[in-house]
Amino acid sequence: MFEALETTAVALWVGESLWGYPIMLGLHVVGLAMVVGLFVMRDLRLIGMLDGISFKSLLSLSKLGWMGFLINVISGCFLFSSQATYFVTHTPFLLKITMIFLATVTAGFIQQRIRVGAEEWDSGGGSVGVVRNLAIVSIALWMGAIIAGRLIAYL
Amino acid sequence: MTGTIVALFVNTVEGSVVNTWVMGSIWIWPLMEILHFIGLSLLLGSILVIDLRLAGHLRNISIAAIHKLLPVVFIGFGLNFITGFLFLMGDPARYMANIGFWWKMCLVVLALLNALWFKMKISPLMANWSPHADTPPLAKVIGWLSLGLWFGVLLLGRLIPYIGTG
Repeated sequence: MFEALETTAVALWVGESLWGYPIMLGLHVVGLAMVVGLFVMRDLRLIGMLDGISFKSLLSLSKLGWMGFLINVISGCFLFSSQATYFVTHTPFLLKITMIFLATVTAGFIQQRIRVGAEEWDSGGGSVGVVRNLAIVSIALWMGAIIAGRLIAYL
Repeated sequence: MTGTIVALFVNTVEGSVVNTWVMGSIWIWPLMEILHFIGLSLLLGSILVIDLRLAGHLRNISIAAIHKLLPVVFIGFGLNFITGFLFLMGDPARYMANIGFWWKMCLVVLALLNALWFKMKISPLMANWSPHADTPPLAKVIGWLSLGLWFGVLLLGRLIPYIGTG
């Protein structure tokens, strides 16, 4: 199955054309900056930093973050197709995908809590509570994904 | 002339204490790359929000958030300035010969000048702006310029290994 993927026209364009790989890699770093940058800022706010940014506006930040995530799912599939048989058994790659999956699930839970609680938190009532822990987990997962992603090139 | 200065720079750096340290272990380079990627996420993520708000978008985010997010910008930039400097010290010949690196540095300088423009012309006025209103034309210009320059820096940086070396 993965051998077949590697020989599709798309995979060959990514792997062998002059600009296929660099274009996808360029998009992938733009998406990375958006998803990690915005989700980590959201998490920092929930932990209690960046005081003065309303909890309600975190939902707008998250929306931009998801846009970056979408860019990276698409560019990531292109990049994967060119070396599918290699990636599918490569530990750092599998670790990276696992952490990204867990981080997006965490993001879903965090946003659910923000949607319910933001107004109350912004007016000074209630406590952020357990979301704080989720935010710490989220930061750890995104940092882990970056570490594993970079190590793909080295291990 | 330029060639002589570059050769002198490369000769001075190669074999220096910092150069030897960076190249001394196979783990230092990947570790710095990881830090550089974390730094770029913080820098570009915060810049994106700041610039879009400056350009009049994301109006449900208060104008005050622009100043509140600046520490994230500074931490990201600082992290990448330090790790970037160490990359240059580690492999000066490769960067000096790379046109993508020079373009990236040009855009960094322009982006910093643009930030200075913001600091002088826009920042002092912001206290009088309505928190969720549109922004003046000059703020929009500076916001879009900043966004274009920083994302140009990001793309050039990522493509350094793929752009011509002469």
